[in-house]
Amino acid sequence: MAYSDSDDRVGAHATHSTAAQAPAAVKILIAGGFGVGKTTMVGAVSEVVPLNTEEHLTVAGVGVDDIDGVDQKATTTVALDFGRITVSPQLVLYLFGTPGQERFWFMWNDLVHGALGAVVLVDTRRLESSFASVDFFESRGVPFVVGVNCFDGRQDRTESEVREALDLDPHTPVVMGDLRQRRASRDLLLALIELLMSGPAQLPGHPVAAQPGTIRTM
Amino acid sequence: MSHWADAAPDDEYAEQSFVRPYTITQGRTTSARDDLTLITVLTTVDAPGEEPPARGLQPEHRLILQQCRTPVALAEVAAGLNLPVAVTKILVSDLITLGRVTARAPLAVAAGQGLDMTLLQAVKDGLLRL
Repeated sequence: MAYSDSDDRVGAHATHSTAAQAPAAVKILIAGGFGVGKTTMVGAVSEVVPLNTEEHLTVAGVGVDDIDGVDQKATTTVALDFGRITVSPQLVLYLFGTPGQERFWFMWNDLVHGALGAVVLVDTRRLESSFASVDFFESRGVPFVVGVNCFDGRQDRTESEVREALDLDPHTPVVMGDLRQRRASRDLLLALIELLMSGPAQLPGHPVAAQPGTIRTM
Repeated sequence: MSHWADAAPDDEYAEQSFVRPYTITQGRTTSARDDLTLITVLTTVDAPGEEPPARGLQPEHRLILQQCRTPVALAEVAAGLNLPVAVTKILVSDLITLGRVTARAPLAVAAGQGLDMTLLQAVKDGLLRL
């Protein structure tokens, strides 16, 4: 195993250093409305305390309010929570919780580019807060699974109700679970991997290409 | 597979800094390299005790060298330094130019395209071990 807990400290007794040992990294995005449990899920499966960093985001000014007087571009800062799962000595999986500033995160191409896929978390009391994420991934052809966060097993909507409300493709998996539980969050990630392994024909967005004009890309 | 919640609390990575981020980069706001991503894995080249003199390096450069003795992603380095990703990229880029750090680009993954089954199986196996 390339990592142990103590390695997370800066320079703590590091014993090896050659570049040949560097693992490759892949990432999965955890999306959904504000307060839906993204950081909770990252924390449930991550082998490190969820980390936080910030990135400057350049937003095209088109259709974005509150940036009066700024003609073409504006910069905002988004916070990002992420965690890590060491899959093997050669491979590390990073999970990125998308920023809470819901209007902006999807324009952050660096975040979406190169992701294996995404998890969209929904809160059944506020389904509409996850619409933007579903729309975005569908239009971009990014494979995703939907996770319904059921704290303490409370479940006030059935899977088919969620599916209908979000107008999901029949192939898009919906997983219900208490995402504070490691097992539930893991199963959600497994559902995504199995979707990816099922082949391109099963993925939403295929064979229909991204619909131009639905989402403004930069 | 270890989990962070099982471990003893760690020290904080870095002290809270009162220095403005772009002072650390000597006013530079863009990186010389545009190929660094959040999950580019960075590794310090020189083993501890074998480093060339650190002349000309900022304290933050040295912290990066320490942190990357075990390969870590750029996003983790930024979190550890408590600096924005953009600033971290500039500092990391300096170290790559100096030959002090190597960078491994993320695996090429195009969302929705046919993915490497070996890769997916490895991720699946890793998750099942959690």
